[in-house]
Amino acid sequence: MTTLTERAPAVRGLAFAVEALTLGYGRAPVLRELDLAIRPGEVLAVAGASGSGKSTLLRALAGLLAPAAGRVLADGVVVAATSADRAMVFQDDGLLPWRTVRRNVELPLALRKVPRAERRAAAASWLDRVGLTGSADLLPRELSGGMRQRVQLARALAGAPRAVLMDEPFGALDAQTRAEMQRLLLGVLRETRATVVFVTHDVDEALLLGDRVAVIGGGSLRTVIEVTREEVTREEVTREEVTREEVTREEVNGEDDLRARVLKEL
Amino acid sequence: MRQAARIGSLLAAAALWQVLTVTDARLWLRFDRLPSLDEVAVRFAAELTTSLYYLDLLQSLLRILTGFAIAAVAGVAAGVLVTRSRRAGPVLLPLLEVVRPIPAIALVPIAILLFPADEQGIVFITFAAAFFPIMVSTRHAVRALPTLWEDAVRTLGAGRRHVLWHVVLPGILPGVFGGLSVGMGVAWICVISAEMISGEFGVGYRTWNAYTLVDYPAVIVGMATIGLLGWLTSAGVELVGRRVTRWLPRGEGSLA
Repeated sequence: MTTLTERAPAVRGLAFAVEALTLGYGRAPVLRELDLAIRPGEVLAVAGASGSGKSTLLRALAGLLAPAAGRVLADGVVVAATSADRAMVFQDDGLLPWRTVRRNVELPLALRKVPRAERRAAAASWLDRVGLTGSADLLPRELSGGMRQRVQLARALAGAPRAVLMDEPFGALDAQTRAEMQRLLLGVLRETRATVVFVTHDVDEALLLGDRVAVIGGGSLRTVIEVTREEVTREEVTREEVTREEVTREEVNGEDDLRARVLKEL
Repeated sequence: MRQAARIGSLLAAAALWQVLTVTDARLWLRFDRLPSLDEVAVRFAAELTTSLYYLDLLQSLLRILTGFAIAAVAGVAAGVLVTRSRRAGPVLLPLLEVVRPIPAIALVPIAILLFPADEQGIVFITFAAAFFPIMVSTRHAVRALPTLWEDAVRTLGAGRRHVLWHVVLPGILPGVFGGLSVGMGVAWICVISAEMISGEFGVGYRTWNAYTLVDYPAVIVGMATIGLLGWLTSAGVELVGRRVTRWLPRGEGSLA
């Protein structure tokens, strides 16, 4: 395993090549002969209905699931097992319930024997980034669902993975928490320059988060849509203070059109 | 109110005992042969001043704690091994399943033949008694572990050993402590029985010895001592269990 400093900074994110991948056995495999190239550093949203095989695809990318046929390459190397380079964030709470928030975030560093002081500092900085500094010494059961997902995100990123695989991480959250998490995610993930594969059944979420949206249905890849954005500055009323201010945000170009294209394929 | 009910029921039982024994009641059950409560109390107070009482007590404690500690380590190790290891499972499992139905106390003749001294034999019997409940509960706890924890930790770079250390061992603790509680209970049954059969010290030996010497108050003192020690050690296991499983959602503690 290479350390952070050994990696060339320009290629932080992993490139995946999915080649003729068949997952699941028998006459009706979950995915059949799927080909997909995932670019280094991009955010690829994988959209599909429940049971379409999008989570199964993610597990194969992580190395948690062996293909029935075909293969997955990460930077040209066949994925045969899990690796710290490909961290996964789950919809259900994957935190270890006996570890405090801080010790959960430290876990990927503890696994590679990073000294305690360094671990502490890294965990503190990630917890700060996801806004949970005050909850560092709480147990996962003492947190809300949204907070737990933020801890999962911090834990995944603390290991400096080159790809982050997210399986409907906000699926179980209420609408408002979900929107907050999406905003946080956009900010945090862009900074890490890791490749992100984000599985969701929500088309709006896919368009909001993805640089590209891959639509999966009926056991195969239906289409991959490029999402272009531009920065738009406009006046916005902030809810708390009821004052108008200039806000710059990214907007998806031709969003309604894209949404229609995705929905047609689903 | 609840406290009053608890104390009340204990006092009522004690009073009934006293009345039945003092009046030499023979209601098919022959209470005239049992010592009365005050006789036992006097005897207990006298025993507490002798060094022999404490020597017996320490001897029994030493035996049970040694046997129990070996059983705890071996039981958890075996339980994890047969469920997690593809190679060790098929080799160990049939062996364990064949030996499991044999009551530990039935191993006394073997223990006497096998070990050079009675002492080791008694520890062995205690170990054999506690081992199986601990092993079985560990097996169930390992099987019940959510795969999500293991998957999550593996994608953070964990290998098999990491998974064992960071997921399996902490994750099975609630189930293991259930087995430790049961194991401590049967360990007491077996250490006392084994002491009654062989042994030159120990609460079990002393109690049986008192019976053969027609010293009935001392028999009751022995029984009360065993009850007290059993309660203390079980409370100890429960206390440690609660401490190490604090992360469980409230009200779902295995020992609650």
